[in-house]
Amino acid sequence: MLELKNLDAGYDFLQVLWGISLQVEKGEFVALVGPNGAGKSTTLRSISGLLKPKGGKILFNGKDISTLPAHTISRMGISYVSEDLNLFTDMSVRENLILGAYAVKDKELQLETLAYIFELFPRLAERHNQLAGTMSGGERKMLAIARGMMSKPQLMLVDEPSLGLQPNLVHDVFTALLKLRQQGVTILLVEQNVNTTLEITDRAYILEQGRIVMEGPSREVKENDHVRNAYLGI
Amino acid sequence: MAKETLAAPAMETSLMTRIKDNLPVVLVSVFSLFLVVIVGIKGGPAQILNTIIAGGMWALLAVGLALVFGVMNIPHFAHGESFMVGAYVAYFVFTPLVESMGETPNAMLRALVPFVGILAAGLVGAILGIIIERLIFAPLRKRTRSGWVMNAFLLTVGISFVMTNGATLTIGPNFRGIPKYWDIEPIEFLGARLSADRLGAFFVAMVTIGVLWFFLRRTRTGRAVRAVSQDETGAQLVGINLNFIQTLTFSLSTATAAIAGAALLFMFQAYPTVGLKPLYFAWYVVMLVGLGNIAGAIVGGFIVALLQTATQLFFTITWETVIPTVVMIIVLLLAPSGLFGSEVKGIQEQ
Repeated sequence: MLELKNLDAGYDFLQVLWGISLQVEKGEFVALVGPNGAGKSTTLRSISGLLKPKGGKILFNGKDISTLPAHTISRMGISYVSEDLNLFTDMSVRENLILGAYAVKDKELQLETLAYIFELFPRLAERHNQLAGTMSGGERKMLAIARGMMSKPQLMLVDEPSLGLQPNLVHDVFTALLKLRQQGVTILLVEQNVNTTLEITDRAYILEQGRIVMEGPSREVKENDHVRNAYLGI
Repeated sequence: MAKETLAAPAMETSLMTRIKDNLPVVLVSVFSLFLVVIVGIKGGPAQILNTIIAGGMWALLAVGLALVFGVMNIPHFAHGESFMVGAYVAYFVFTPLVESMGETPNAMLRALVPFVGILAAGLVGAILGIIIERLIFAPLRKRTRSGWVMNAFLLTVGISFVMTNGATLTIGPNFRGIPKYWDIEPIEFLGARLSADRLGAFFVAMVTIGVLWFFLRRTRTGRAVRAVSQDETGAQLVGINLNFIQTLTFSLSTATAAIAGAALLFMFQAYPTVGLKPLYFAWYVVMLVGLGNIAGAIVGGFIVALLQTATQLFFTITWETVIPTVVMIIVLLLAPSGLFGSEVKGIQEQ
């Protein structure tokens, strides 16, 4: 479904990604892990269209999306839940979610999806009139993920959802992601929380200093000595 | 005894904290109420009504400006030229139409003619906005975002220069005016005599603001406009086409300013630099209420009109611009984000 071929990306004169290649097949739950500054967010930003690649290709369902604008890529079925969340802070939970389904023309379908999302995230349903900017960190992450789902995407890119969250909320977030997975959504998850991430994902890529240094089934990656040393503190 | 002392403070804090949280709004409301009272006493209902009518106009002008700043982050100093275009269009539509109707026109049709001019002005304004945005701001956005605020500002100054001088060159510097839109006697209302033209202008302003409000609050595209003003990246991520929204927003601002210019043709007339005063008034309102605050701009229009009237009633004409400016300086010193806070989030450097 998604394929990155020798992707080079960066900001102005600073190159961050050096020839990244990775794939995500339909229905998979794939992890992209690595230390701070490795280029994980840059990878997701490139896929989502917010950042234009300097070299290489990004293919989605066989189509080259490297040069397409972000809003087009969003409408093609890729939802990016960014690290900054990019919520509409002066709008209510409900309005944020409705906007998540901006590209969905059928209003009834929009409302159906909204009802479904409210079932999945009861805390959001409770606060449906609350302004997004006044919610707690964990609730805002939930809202960002929920908003990403409103467009019924084929592929979700989730950027460090557990960052800055207390442990029980981290659990909630990962549970939500697994629920998504059950719905058949393909997920590419970027995380620093390597332990839990490797437990719940199918495959993993390790990104270090802008290069893929390891890939494989999460089970195997977890057993790897370097990984255990560098990321799992064993 | 202990119970009594516990109960009283609890109630006080609740009211006090609520006042503290909304301090700017409370202060402004109290001050506005005070102004309404003194204006009403000194000037009577006539002045109150005139203030409301002027307020509607400033609100209409300010809203367009707030939209452009809030959504596109452009400090727009050519807004007055949209007003000018509207005035000219109204003049060149209204005058020949009225002349063609002859000495004894059909009363119904004659009453509608001003609206034709105003609608035409809105249409021309909208088209003008699309052209300007596509030709000038879209290419700048594509090229670079660094130094955006200054660049955009300078561009609007240039646009203003070109438009005012262009009008002088093509149409000529003479004032094009009309004595009246509707040739009927002033209408008695609550002890005041209000000219039909002023009432008509107020009606147009309220309808336009109402339509704009409905558009922004209740429609899908209007919601997208608000989304872009709050988080550009978030808007892109949900599939909103930024270029389309920017063009639409700019077009809305030029259209509404043009409508204002057309509706006020009887008062301001049409000439190349007619837009100067409306520009300053609109900016005054926007700066006072907080840059980019769209709802605030509407309320602000009325507050500024109130301040204006109060100044005219209690001070001589020489203080007319001084007092409101002093008020703004004080307000901005105490509340730099404006009375109701600024909604401007800043733009992404790409």
